[in-house]
Amino acid sequence: MTTVLAICVTVIVTVSVYLMLSRELKSIAMGVFLLGHGANLSIIAMSGSPVLPGGGLRQPPILGDGILVDALPQALILTAIVINFAVMGFFLTLLVLTARNTGTLNLDELALEDPPVASPELEPTVDGGPGGGVGR
Amino acid sequence: MRNDLLGLLVVIPLATAVASVALVRRSRPQRVLGLLSLGSMLVLAVGWLSEIRDGDVLVSQMGAWPAPFGITLVFDSLSGLLLCTGLVVALGCYVHSFSVLEPETERRYFHPLVQLLMVGVNQCFLTGDLFNLFVGFEIMLMASYGLLVIGASRRQMAQAYKYLVLNLIASTVFVISAGLVYGMFGTLNLADLARIVDARVASGEGLPPGFVGVSVMLLFVFGAKGAFFPLWFWLPDTYPTCPVPVAALFSGLLTKVGVYAVARTFPLVFAVGDARDVVTPLLLASAGITMFLGVLGAVSQHSVRRILAVHVISQVGYMVFGIALMTTAGLAGALYYMVQHMVVKSSLFLCCGVMEHHAGSDDLDRLGGLLKRDRFLGIAFFVAAMSLVGLPPLSGFFGKLVLVREGWTDHWWLSVVALLTGVLTLVSMLKIWTRGFWLAPVAAAEPAPAAGSGDLRGAYIGIGFLVAVAVLMGLAAEPIYDIAFHAGEQLTDPSAYIGAVNPRGLAAVPGGGG
Repeated sequence: MTTVLAICVTVIVTVSVYLMLSRELKSIAMGVFLLGHGANLSIIAMSGSPVLPGGGLRQPPILGDGILVDALPQALILTAIVINFAVMGFFLTLLVLTARNTGTLNLDELALEDPPVASPELEPTVDGGPGGGVGR
Repeated sequence: MRNDLLGLLVVIPLATAVASVALVRRSRPQRVLGLLSLGSMLVLAVGWLSEIRDGDVLVSQMGAWPAPFGITLVFDSLSGLLLCTGLVVALGCYVHSFSVLEPETERRYFHPLVQLLMVGVNQCFLTGDLFNLFVGFEIMLMASYGLLVIGASRRQMAQAYKYLVLNLIASTVFVISAGLVYGMFGTLNLADLARIVDARVASGEGLPPGFVGVSVMLLFVFGAKGAFFPLWFWLPDTYPTCPVPVAALFSGLLTKVGVYAVARTFPLVFAVGDARDVVTPLLLASAGITMFLGVLGAVSQHSVRRILAVHVISQVGYMVFGIALMTTAGLAGALYYMVQHMVVKSSLFLCCGVMEHHAGSDDLDRLGGLLKRDRFLGIAFFVAAMSLVGLPPLSGFFGKLVLVREGWTDHWWLSVVALLTGVLTLVSMLKIWTRGFWLAPVAAAEPAPAAGSGDLRGAYIGIGFLVAVAVLMGLAAEPIYDIAFHAGEQLTDPSAYIGAVNPRGLAAVPGGGG
């Protein structure tokens, strides 16, 4: 099981690094979210199986006897998922706002100190037009 | 000692944040609420700090679960001193914001975000386990993302992504390393970890393979948040873009939480045994480079905001230097330096805000002759700047004195770098002083634009408060240094900390590998 999880984590992290290297903010956002999932999976892998290498059963820390996997990593992951979700919401909102205010989601164009003169054929799909909402 | 009320420092700002959201359209009640919240927390924190002057440790076990199983909040000398300073800084910046922040910006949830920032910062300082440190970091960062883009100008948005993405990656690495630590030791409570690690090293059993790797991963995480040498690039671009009170708040609180996390976890757990041989050289090298390159960057800048922002990096180097020494006096010096730096740096940023208000720009070419126009500002800036440089009897002097003297025996070259950095700090501060306050402006000064309410009373109260605290810290260096020294003792010999957090000496989780 651990091997399968390890392979999953590897694939997810690889894809997310590839996405994060892009110059498009949308891809970067997706890469960051995937990385969070990779981290959560790796904690699952870390928590191990309920059977210990010696043959005994792993005891849950609080409940005494019973055949349970350790509940704590699950709680950690739950917390991490919630936080990841909140950050994702913020990131996507910021993306929408950036697109509205600056008319671009490309890092190279964003890095320009002086916004280029609005050219409608460059960003025809963006709502509100380039520079339309600066300082609102 | 038990103290069940420590949670108040997290609950008060949280409740205030929720109440402020309901009042978001009305600024006056929000301000009163915010002041009440920050003020009451400051009173509580100072009261508790005076209770533990002799090196006691206050501990709160949430839900009365014993230490390794429940959530533990710890108020020892290190966290207590930083909590008080953090609240002082927040209070100063908050009062300042009343008169410089545009009403439009203020209505965009400025007050709730500040309170949420304090929730995160306080939780980071108080928490006794690694995972809650992560949660505290995240709360603080979420609030800081919001504050960073408050007003949503093009420049803010373009720069915010650097900060956002770097911090998200760092947080992910934090989660992974917390998971690794749990897999190795079966606990995330710092006191419990310290006990297990010490016992393993003492019994010759050794630490699990990969422990050094986890140490370095955590160093990366805290380094990214604290802007240490290779991971500082986000800071000079992001801080100057936000409104001045926000920049002052960030420079006083955010990077220091990263430094605090290193000071808390590394001497206790992650720089023990083999890990120390790997982590210490990394920290020392990072400290030297951060100090020196940071100040070189500051000298080369030409706008007040950027000079101050790059200086934050340089000063972080001093703190890392003290931590890397891993001696009692070194850690105490780092802590004292951190405390005074938080206050001084924030007050400098606030001064920069008023300078901009007068001259309409923070470009050194456009500033000038401000001493004639605003004597109070000139004096406040001069005192704060000289304190940053480290001239006696101001507070920066004592911090540098302890660090340089402590580092001299083993790492004299770093002490030399520290002194050289001090000289260059003086150069860059004098650059602002002469161009901004002393000489006549090079370019014609524009008439002051309408920023905020135009009533600068709040701004002056904020600056005056922080500068007064900074001067007081210099004059009353002894009692503060005493507390810092207790903190250093508790970090180098954690038995008191472990005993206080884990009083019954409960065994680690069965089967957790401990």
